[in-house]
Amino acid sequence: MTTTPQSKSNTKLNTKSDTGHHLAIDVGGTFIDFIYFDAETQNIKVEKVPSSGSLEERFFEGIEQLEANLSDIEMIVHGSTQVINTIVQENGAKVGLITTKGFKDVLELARGNRPEVYNLFYQQPTPLVPRYLRCEVTERLDYQGNVLQTLDKSELKKAILDLKEQGVEGIAICFLHAYVNPVHEQQAAALARELCPELQVSASSEIVREFREFERTSTTVLNAYTQPRMSGYLGRLELGLSSRNYQGSFAVMQSSGGITSSQVAQQAPIRTIQSGPAGGVIGTAELAKQLGIENVVAADVGGTTFDVALITGGDLLTRTHTTFNKRPVLQTTIDIVSVGAGGGSIAHINEEGGLQVGPQSAQADPGPACFGLGGTDATVTDAQVILGYLDPKHYLGERMKLDVEAAKTAIMKHVAMPLNLSLEDAAAGILHLTNMNMAYAIRQVTIERGHDPRDFSLVSYGGGGGLFAATLLKELDMKQVVIPHYPATFSAYGLLYADYREDIARTFVSPFADMSPAALGLRFLELEQEAKDWFASQGLENDSLKLEHFAELRYLGQEHNLIIPVEKTDVLAADLSTLRNRFDAYYDKAYAHSLKDHELEFVGLRLSASLVSSKPTIDKLKQANTPVEDAIIRHQHVYLDSNTHATKEAKSYPVYDRKKLQASHSITGPAIIEEWNSTVILLAGQKLKVDEYGNLIMEAL
Amino acid sequence: MQVDPITRQVIRNALVATAKEMQTTLVKTAHNPLIYEVQDFGMVLTNSKGQMIAEGSGLPGFLACLPPTIQSGLELTTFSEGDILLSNEPDDTGTHISDTVLYMPIFYKDELVAFSAVMAHWADIGGMMPGGWCPSSVSLHQEGLIFSHNKLVDAGIENKELMRFILRNVRYPKIVEGDLNAKISACQTGARRYIALCKRYGADVVDAAMQETFSLSEQRMRREIASIPDGNYSAEAFIDHDGIERDKHHKIQVNIVVTAEEMTIDWEGTDPVAKGPINHPLVGTAAICATTLKSLTMPLDATNDGHLRPLTVTAPDNTLVSASYPAPCDSYGYVAEIIVHVIVKALAQAIPERCPAATYQMCAYTLSREGADGFITGEPVDGGGGAFPHDDGPTGIMFCGNGDAPNTPIEVLETRYPTRFNEYSINLKNRGVGKYRGGYGVIREFEVLTDNVDLKTSTENNQNPFWGLNGGGDAGVTQVIINPNTEEELVLEDRVDYHWLNSGDVVRIETANGGGWGNPAEREPERIAEDIKNGLISLEDAVRLYGQNKSTLEQLI
Repeated sequence: MTTTPQSKSNTKLNTKSDTGHHLAIDVGGTFIDFIYFDAETQNIKVEKVPSSGSLEERFFEGIEQLEANLSDIEMIVHGSTQVINTIVQENGAKVGLITTKGFKDVLELARGNRPEVYNLFYQQPTPLVPRYLRCEVTERLDYQGNVLQTLDKSELKKAILDLKEQGVEGIAICFLHAYVNPVHEQQAAALARELCPELQVSASSEIVREFREFERTSTTVLNAYTQPRMSGYLGRLELGLSSRNYQGSFAVMQSSGGITSSQVAQQAPIRTIQSGPAGGVIGTAELAKQLGIENVVAADVGGTTFDVALITGGDLLTRTHTTFNKRPVLQTTIDIVSVGAGGGSIAHINEEGGLQVGPQSAQADPGPACFGLGGTDATVTDAQVILGYLDPKHYLGERMKLDVEAAKTAIMKHVAMPLNLSLEDAAAGILHLTNMNMAYAIRQVTIERGHDPRDFSLVSYGGGGGLFAATLLKELDMKQVVIPHYPATFSAYGLLYADYREDIARTFVSPFADMSPAALGLRFLELEQEAKDWFASQGLENDSLKLEHFAELRYLGQEHNLIIPVEKTDVLAADLSTLRNRFDAYYDKAYAHSLKDHELEFVGLRLSASLVSSKPTIDKLKQANTPVEDAIIRHQHVYLDSNTHATKEAKSYPVYDRKKLQASHSITGPAIIEEWNSTVILLAGQKLKVDEYGNLIMEAL
Repeated sequence: MQVDPITRQVIRNALVATAKEMQTTLVKTAHNPLIYEVQDFGMVLTNSKGQMIAEGSGLPGFLACLPPTIQSGLELTTFSEGDILLSNEPDDTGTHISDTVLYMPIFYKDELVAFSAVMAHWADIGGMMPGGWCPSSVSLHQEGLIFSHNKLVDAGIENKELMRFILRNVRYPKIVEGDLNAKISACQTGARRYIALCKRYGADVVDAAMQETFSLSEQRMRREIASIPDGNYSAEAFIDHDGIERDKHHKIQVNIVVTAEEMTIDWEGTDPVAKGPINHPLVGTAAICATTLKSLTMPLDATNDGHLRPLTVTAPDNTLVSASYPAPCDSYGYVAEIIVHVIVKALAQAIPERCPAATYQMCAYTLSREGADGFITGEPVDGGGGAFPHDDGPTGIMFCGNGDAPNTPIEVLETRYPTRFNEYSINLKNRGVGKYRGGYGVIREFEVLTDNVDLKTSTENNQNPFWGLNGGGDAGVTQVIINPNTEEELVLEDRVDYHWLNSGDVVRIETANGGGWGNPAEREPERIAEDIKNGLISLEDAVRLYGQNKSTLEQLI
């Protein structure tokens, strides 16, 4: 396959190279994936290195294996898991917190709810800043930003010096209502930076300008907590790159699905919390655009989790409030829902005597029993080996020999014998339950967001994407499934399609009736200017930004709000009735009713600014000039289950080599389509067509 | 009929997912913030006999109340396809009249195969208090409209007259109507999915799969009960007052008998029904007994009828925990909270290592003003969680009965209501000392910025505080202090119905801590030192309350 990346030179950041060569590097739980576009040969090169040990070393190891000349590369885009790992492993920095007098315990008291209602031992997470590192200073604003009490500088100085004395690595500052008026936070941050230039200082108003003091404090603290590790990591990569004579730009994927400079990611690492999985969703959005599909479920099947995101009407769904490891973050984040189901998911008999698959995973180490790395648990991958979905002799393009006996032993011992089932029935049962878990996840994600899964297509990627796609298509009665090219490294591939993006949000509570179109327009102009200034400060062009405006609105008296797009024509109209009607329509879609006579209220304004670059375009495949049977490389014995049971006997099914498939080739199931790091199962009653871009499109007959 | 283990598990999981989908439908379509913000609801699927096969999340007590409601409907009436019924008779539903059950029989091939049911707090039920929670009613009839398995939809035909009657008798008819529709949608979602399962596997297979699951869950519960030493375990608790007879401390007594794999929870010794509305119906008591037992043994398993089978709940007629018509029940929440904790207290004699100390008794406040510029706001206030047998109790957490309800951000409250907060912090008064200490309560202090505001508070067990376990200190008291540190300072350790505030008045709520667990002298010095370092306790108090050597602690700090 070849693609034609067009130059991204208009987006270059301090770039001296304009060769058009691009490199995407995506860190996953098991591997770091590299995708390199050579603009001259229009070739894609894929490389994988294990993500164990020092990530910096692996990073450069992979680049070397690619045999790409770093000094020729124009741009590197990095999807990083550094920040999320720091949060999950709780190994971040020692941070001090400065708050408004009377409120230093907000971080610890949190919201007080207990989501596990039956659990008498439920605990909120331990605050990342212990109480003795939380200081209060006298200052107070009201909710309109008026100063009620000026900032007490001597208290502030004492607080900063106390924290320094305690040996903190960073200081977080969060004052009440600083989202309206950052004046006191700015003064406090300036003094902290002056007194302790060696410390990293995070003021809430520099990170997030939205109300809800606990969530804002949590976000600010997480930023300070992850900053030393993330900035150290990116700093070392920058150093390594420049010592290797790299002169292009170095960008990092953000949770929003847009990229930002490595510099910004070092100042605001919290923006990159979903940096890892974002690439695949961006890739899916791009693919959906190419294929002209509006509604897509992006599903990433990994070893441990099944990650689902939605694209509706061509736009990827984001959320503004997310929780990681029980800790809230206020940031524009791609709405990704993760469930514990993947190739490494462990099947076991639970305490009630029922078969349960996941959420525990054998992960990469020791991995499924069949990997022969010492794993003895029965996993989903072991079940696939037993049923013949995976050929032990041809796994990972023969890079790994699978231990069938180990898989059999694990499934016999942990599932088949306790349930008094045959080996094959036990394996089929494991797969069936896994498929159903994935189907429930997709159904729950779609209906929770007001959609019906039957209106969606599924883009299934990740190493295991093709193994589950056919069953999901059938189970959820979806329109079609698309298995993209390079499914196993699709997340890295997606990074190549990301644009620089800056999201600006402001809490702004005001009665809808009091707002004129012109006044609303003025408010947005301020945000636009801020966005333009940001792009200029990054050395990027800012006169052709793609600007998307949104208003957060709600019915007066309600607590939950909806984010509604605001069109240019809205602020030019005589009144805001079009916006009002749009809100009612969105509300009706989300909640199946609307209150057309009820007063509205603004809660916030949002602006998303992107510097749209031209995208690599995929060359079309050659039209089929050979019969599809020529792509059959062997036949494989498979127990292809149609429902909950294995077939009595294994039957022989054709295995097609994906590399040999040509555009408009069509295959009727059952069949297997194989490439070196990914396998696609096609069921009876389904057909698969190769489209002109090389995607596999699966549909019910 | 026998079902293979894979199909059984698939059906079980499908029903759990269905209940979750019902919940999503309700939350997405409800009009009432109590539903979509405070999660004041519960929903289940039952089989045709009214036995629970799956539950959505929500308030645990509600979930276990729904099957008995359906069972009483099965005794009282017959069902046709397309029926939708309403019921909120506390004798049937086990809670107060605001928590109305809407349920729907599910038919497949003309046969009754299952029920889907939703219980949720109505925005108003037409009683003496807007929105319910009467603090001083003396009869059920003062508390609102009573439904007794009335058909809102009869064999697919909407009973428009009943609907019109309901909407004329509630204060917020639009919200109530919207919520009713949301509940209908939720039940229909449940029905649709259940029927789809029947089509795929056969109604008999679905039923048989659940019968087998019941049996497995029952066996698991029996194993859990068998792990509790046989014996008789009793405990008692007292309530400060019922809202009417303010000098009488009503007693609640539980007697638990564990014999091999079975458990009986009996309430002999509990005082007769109170004159005021703190009474609790037996169905609700049994539900809380069941959920508390499940919480202690297997909190994470999906609940079904099998879990309930090894448990028997008995009580003398018409007591505080077995109130029947026409006893007032609207403020039943205090006793509901006591039921949970007194059961745990009794069982702590048998399985101390699995029982946490008591969490604070509920606390909430409301501010309101009538008229053109009127407003109403209020919130439950977090407090201290009881200490665990292996760790300190959680600080600033919601009381048990209110489950997943979050507090409201101060920045949101100040934006919406004429209040300004001076403090939201950890209440350092903590009587819950112990090997593991109780969690700290909170201080929430605000100033009112306008005149003629009515303050209402909900609090209990300040004269009869909740307890620690195994030598741990008690759960302290909740105080509401009006205008603290002024000449007009007023310290309230009791709930108030009407207390008028004017601009500049300050309200300071200091909630109780959780009880402590174990002998304070056994507390690890490192934990004490950490509390001292974090300013939660002074060195002097630590030495006095924990009997630790001063210099040992100083070295650790």
